[in-house]
Amino acid sequence: MAVVYCEFFHSYLCPQLKTTKLIIMAKKMTIALYTGSFDKLTATGVIINGAVADDMDVEIFVLLMGANAFKKENVGKTDHMAELADKKEEFLASLQQLKIPTWMEYFQQAKEMGNVKIYICGLAGKVWNGLTLGDFNELADDICGIAEYVASAQTADVNLFI
Amino acid sequence: MTTEELKNLKTDKVVDARGSACPGPLMATKKAIGEMKSGEIIEVLSSDPGTKRDVPKWAVKKGFEYLGDILEDGYFRLYIKK
Repeated sequence: MAVVYCEFFHSYLCPQLKTTKLIIMAKKMTIALYTGSFDKLTATGVIINGAVADDMDVEIFVLLMGANAFKKENVGKTDHMAELADKKEEFLASLQQLKIPTWMEYFQQAKEMGNVKIYICGLAGKVWNGLTLGDFNELADDICGIAEYVASAQTADVNLFI
Repeated sequence: MTTEELKNLKTDKVVDARGSACPGPLMATKKAIGEMKSGEIIEVLSSDPGTKRDVPKWAVKKGFEYLGDILEDGYFRLYIKK
């Protein structure tokens, strides 16, 4: 959420107030992140960086396969759950040659530069034996239920299922 | 601005994002411009072809003034006034 101090409102509309705060809600992107494949996670990383550059708040709800990629023991796996097996090697080689960040580096960068929250679906966690936040990598902010995603998506300006 | 005017422009900050792929140059620009004062000029160097459309659109949307760009050998120089 951005807070803007507006001199115009202060002097023109509300002369009786010493300062006026005009609160502007940042635009919001919600993502239902079902995939656990590194290729789609890389694309997600690019998208959320773009959203952050545009000062959007981002809330990511990590669903079934996604939760597997976020498990602590899968940190550092470069070809996790590759979706298109026949393109995997070519894709990986190209990413390395172009020095493209890994999906986790993209997510980390977006979190450092903006307001990005990542929630692991409680059911998905259980499926992969992740019962507490400590079972997931450091990107995860909390474990939540589906109602939170549905409520958040209703107030989002952009909602994606990946 | 014309290419000649851009070449003679006094810039306050230069961001060299050459070699970085989308959205690297955009993120580097955002980071650098956040530390600048209003009225200052930033020069962004990028070899990513998408930057030439991406950064001007972003800059205008954020309320900055896009001054123009110069095509060099294999990269762009883009100029934005905060």
